[in-house]
Amino acid sequence: MTKQDIRQQIEGYAEIQAEIEVLRKYAHDRRADRGTVDRVINLLHPKELKLTVSEIIEETASSKTFRLISADGYLPPFQAGQYINIFVNLAGIRSSRPYSIASSPSQTAYYDVTVRRVEDGFVSNYLLDEVTIGNSLTSTSPAGLFYYNPLFHGNNLVFLAGGSGITPFMSMIREVTDRGLDRNITLIYGSRDPDDMIFKDELEDRAQRHGNFTFIPVISEPPPSYSGHTGFITAELMQKLLDDVKDRMFYVCGPEEMYTFCLPELDKLGMPKKRVRQEVFGPPKDITMEAGWPSEVKKDDTFEVQIRGGKTIPARADEPLMISLERAGITIPTSCRSGECSLCRTKLLSGEVFQPRGVKVRKSDRQFGYIHACMAYPLKDLEIML
Amino acid sequence: MPDYDVIVIGAGNGGLTASASLAKRGAKVLLLERHNLPGGCATSFIRGRFEFEVALHQLSGLGTPEQPGPLRGLLGQLAVLDKIEFTEEDTLYRTMVPGEFEVTLKADRTEIIAALKEKFPDEADAIDKFFDLVWEFCMQMVSIFFMRDPEASREKYPIYCKYAIKSSKEVLDDYFKSPFLKLAIASYWGYVGLPPSRLTFMDMAMLLWAYTEFKPFHIKGGSQALSNAILDTFIKAGGYPRFNCGAKKIIISDGKVKGVITETGEEITCDYVVSNASTISTYMEMLDEKYVPDDKLKMLGSRSVGPSGFTIYCGLDCEPQDLGIDVSTQFISLNTDIERQFASWRTFDRPEMCGMSCYDVADPDFSPAGACQVAVINLQFADHWLTIPPSQYADVKYRYAQALLDIVEKVYPGFGDALEEVDVSSPITHLRYLGHPGGGFYGFEKFAKDSNLFIPPTSGIDGLYFAGAWAGMAGFQPTLESGVSAAKAIYRKMNK
Repeated sequence: MTKQDIRQQIEGYAEIQAEIEVLRKYAHDRRADRGTVDRVINLLHPKELKLTVSEIIEETASSKTFRLISADGYLPPFQAGQYINIFVNLAGIRSSRPYSIASSPSQTAYYDVTVRRVEDGFVSNYLLDEVTIGNSLTSTSPAGLFYYNPLFHGNNLVFLAGGSGITPFMSMIREVTDRGLDRNITLIYGSRDPDDMIFKDELEDRAQRHGNFTFIPVISEPPPSYSGHTGFITAELMQKLLDDVKDRMFYVCGPEEMYTFCLPELDKLGMPKKRVRQEVFGPPKDITMEAGWPSEVKKDDTFEVQIRGGKTIPARADEPLMISLERAGITIPTSCRSGECSLCRTKLLSGEVFQPRGVKVRKSDRQFGYIHACMAYPLKDLEIML
Repeated sequence: MPDYDVIVIGAGNGGLTASASLAKRGAKVLLLERHNLPGGCATSFIRGRFEFEVALHQLSGLGTPEQPGPLRGLLGQLAVLDKIEFTEEDTLYRTMVPGEFEVTLKADRTEIIAALKEKFPDEADAIDKFFDLVWEFCMQMVSIFFMRDPEASREKYPIYCKYAIKSSKEVLDDYFKSPFLKLAIASYWGYVGLPPSRLTFMDMAMLLWAYTEFKPFHIKGGSQALSNAILDTFIKAGGYPRFNCGAKKIIISDGKVKGVITETGEEITCDYVVSNASTISTYMEMLDEKYVPDDKLKMLGSRSVGPSGFTIYCGLDCEPQDLGIDVSTQFISLNTDIERQFASWRTFDRPEMCGMSCYDVADPDFSPAGACQVAVINLQFADHWLTIPPSQYADVKYRYAQALLDIVEKVYPGFGDALEEVDVSSPITHLRYLGHPGGGFYGFEKFAKDSNLFIPPTSGIDGLYFAGAWAGMAGFQPTLESGVSAAKAIYRKMNK
């Protein structure tokens, strides 16, 4: 006897076969569904956005807002606080940088990204100096994890912003005030100089018009006549400004130093991890200053990186591997460039890299030798597989 | 000479085991994956200090080294047993109707029976008889299909032939009176995605029997560790993985598979293709229409896409016991009406049930010290999700998630206050990451008519093979096995 035979001896077998015949007779024609999956995905998470600069707004002496519209008519929705990673071809190198969207998600006719001049800013300074109205750019679709989650953030939010770290908060503030959402926001905005605060006028205006939004600038290098809060965003100051910190959710976004300073201050306030959200901020200014950096490797040491099945390229110790790859004309997928999104996950076949703390590499990826190239610094010659 | 012997499309469970098996047997294999990492469903992602397990709740079929199950043998042959560690769970699950009923079933037949008898003393006899039936049925099924008894017949295997495709509801109704008892026994229905009225007895019985006999397991480092380990075997055996590179077309010439065109337009030749993509997208998107056999077109249209899911990945800033969570797997229902719960998978109505997996109960190292993670899940079909305007998607997602968290809060007060990281996946998320129609991680619905008793395993195209849930049963063990089966079929053919 064969197995086929016993199948046919199962009680009910013939009835089901008859059902199958009926179903096949009246079968849906799946040719009609072609492309459905891609259509659905492209409305929410298209792989790439083709953008056109429609307007450039001078914000402060050092910053501009680029208003970006879609070249093909559609921009996907995003959650206030998310960024797009903008690609540029510059001096023969294709690279990218993530920029938070500052405009409100209530409309997607355009995305605003606000860019501030930074020392040696490869992409930022190019955008500020070279890009003009009508220029085309490409980017990823909106991504990132720095946004309001109603499931556990509560309704009392405190935003700690430093410098251009205001941009994701701007989107959140605009959304909450424009849509009249039931959330209280206190923005504590640190700046060196009161005149170089991006969005200052608009923030003052919104604070005046909306009872649920409070705007508190804190100036670290105030002019002699300055009458507002000065210094840094300390635990003491926060305690004074916020009568009760307990049920608040703190969000932190700013330059590297901001985290180094503010996170311990939040600890002093007794804020548990679950009440503090922080945006990621890209490679540190000087990786060799990070805890755990091996002292025998110097900043300008250069190593060879062999790509399996491809070429061998040079890579500086103090530059993320992703940048060395880009310099050599190899662009790998990326979105956050801060070690978080894992798109640049790369297999390290041999050699050793330094990955600063906080790079989000999965446990088993560590075990099997995967690195996040955007935040991995070579310490030896490497062999990698792309 | 073609560029490769075999091209495998998709690095999900089935694609990974197919690739690794073939490479280990000396075939030249290219593995294409659209995403940047292997695993498909079998993956993880990091939020804050948590690495969230995406899909694996309880690994079946592994067994212990002393009493190995079929999966242990398979993973041993793929040389992955030494690379990863498994965590055994001593409990199948706890079934709860808050305020009304609760029972915990250990992964041991005697203890299951004792626990049920304690709750339902009036039905003690029926409980004994039912478990005799389940075990006898499964032993017969094992003899027929796993031991391949050449003399299998209705006379020799009457229990199997009588019950295999009967509805589970019919059998449960025959044996039991209490709706709570029926709910407790049928609790694994969500693992197949069908309520007892449509779930075959064979599926319900095999789940209970196999999880009890071979114990539920989880993996240190989560299912991503398993995916990474299988890929490691593949690479070490000389295989070529290529990530961030999807397959667009399968090239056919003279009625035979000739190669694959990638999404970047590169044409790569081969003699065999294993598709770990859905059968629907393989036939409808990757093959030219003229090569799709009429019979297959009818088959695809006569079957319905199974459910996707809605999962809330919760990172908590406390140990499981601080909230009173003491079992890994729990099924919470607000009532005993499974049929109605199944119907609600097609709506945004307030959910009346959820599953809860807390991986830290069996593996305290799963999350950082002082923290734990819980996946709260309810299955959902995708259709109603596709009707939401994109701009409202996030709001709808959060609303549905809140309703599920409300159920958990009833059982574990304080759960919401302990949340430190939360992310949510919906059918749209699964559609995006898997590329499957309807985000269906179980493939087609698993009615009796969709079992391998009725569906021929062949693709109808010379050189094309399938692996994964669309081509057989769903879940980790079956999909891992499906890739090995496809590899064996190809290997046999290559050596003819």
